[in-house]
Amino acid sequence: MLQLMKYEFRKTRFSKMVLLAITAILEVLFLAGIFLDWENGIGWGTIGLTFCAMIGVFYIGLESLMVFHRDLNTKQSYMLFLTPRDSFQILGSKVIENGISLFLAGSFFVLLGMLDLSVVMAYYGELRNFLDMLRELLSVFEIHVDVTTADVLFVILSLLFSWLMTIVTGMLAVILAATVLAGKKFSGVVSFAIFLLLTWGCQSVMNLVPELPGLLYYLPGIALALLFTVVMYLISGWIMEKQLSV
Amino acid sequence: MLECRGITKSYGRKTAVDHISLKLEPGHIYAMLGPNGSGKTTLMKMAAGLVKPNAGDFFYQGNPVGKESRREIAYMSTEPYFYSWMSAGDVGKYYEDFFDDFSMERYLSLLERMELTPDLKTKALSSGMMAKLKIAVTMARKAKVYLLDEPLNGIDLLARDVIVQTVIEECGPKVALVISSHLVDELERVVDTAIFMKEGHLVLMGDIEELRMERGKSVVDLYREIYGHMGEKAD
Repeated sequence: MLQLMKYEFRKTRFSKMVLLAITAILEVLFLAGIFLDWENGIGWGTIGLTFCAMIGVFYIGLESLMVFHRDLNTKQSYMLFLTPRDSFQILGSKVIENGISLFLAGSFFVLLGMLDLSVVMAYYGELRNFLDMLRELLSVFEIHVDVTTADVLFVILSLLFSWLMTIVTGMLAVILAATVLAGKKFSGVVSFAIFLLLTWGCQSVMNLVPELPGLLYYLPGIALALLFTVVMYLISGWIMEKQLSV
Repeated sequence: MLECRGITKSYGRKTAVDHISLKLEPGHIYAMLGPNGSGKTTLMKMAAGLVKPNAGDFFYQGNPVGKESRREIAYMSTEPYFYSWMSAGDVGKYYEDFFDDFSMERYLSLLERMELTPDLKTKALSSGMMAKLKIAVTMARKAKVYLLDEPLNGIDLLARDVIVQTVIEECGPKVALVISSHLVDELERVVDTAIFMKEGHLVLMGDIEELRMERGKSVVDLYREIYGHMGEKAD
């Protein structure tokens, strides 16, 4: 499966390098803004990096779906399905590679954000004082903003697992379009409707989970997203193994 | 070795392969003959495990074809299928990564024979060069069964000789080789068994020498006889 994952990564390497290059340019802009006291640079750098992080992670997931669609619906499918690997391995390599890519991209942008914030703190000492003052001011109105690093990490983990679940649901929809709906009218529309329905269903179940105190608040959501991801993967792999013709 | 029993494949209302049963044995070179739409490609794809039949099954060494059979069955599609970012060298590395029977040394020597170089980008190849690359990478495997779908398509006369030579080099008592082609007269020189397909059915299969003796006709003449009324002519 490692070999398959290696080639899955290779298929999306170019766009990841582009994302990295854009991030590097924006980071230079941001740091130049700080060190040269250039407000526009700080502003555009901050906005650009924020969008880059959000769109980048979103695109990594979306691209894996586009690649998967191409892998099932063009002659390139032979490159995968002529190898001595079964459908579960082929699909599994895609899900794992995408999960790792999402996690690495997410971690990278979080670390970069923390690093940039540290630079700002160090360079503009008064910013820390301002943030402390703001926190004290809010506490007067009984609004407590105690966001810890753990909170930030759990929120990001929740988002990443939720996004991965959406991607695997999308993969299931692509498989349905290529198998049981193949050759039928409106197969694309029907599979997209199934995708929306499944996503809504999963989200509805996740919303039913009672809120837990503290950091435990995030765990049921992450566990359910992981569970749904595994279930979608198993259903998808089974359909591919039994029905898929390329 | 490779056998199908009552295998059927339909695409919507069109039946591409209709209840075909046949058995391929090692030590033979088979010519799979028939005009476009006769079901040759679909049958080969089912043997390679790429297409799932609606009924019946393909068996390799007694087991349904699938992940394990792909270790020993080498299929070459008539269409180009390499990733667009690949060079000829990348194609070799890919096969080396996935197939234990692939020899990089043989692949490089076949590339040289085909007048190709590892640095060539697959997306820049002409159809003839692509056909040569597909043959080189497929025949660089030491497979037990080779399924070559239209390997001579888009190839000039001189290159055809090189390809035919490369293909028959792999023949041996433990290997079965199936070649589909419209170039019947070219195949007649190298194959020993002919499989005639028409509209998804197997119409005739037999040893070429025996067919000649029994019917007093060459494979080319048999091809004309079977498909001639459809307006198809042997090349």
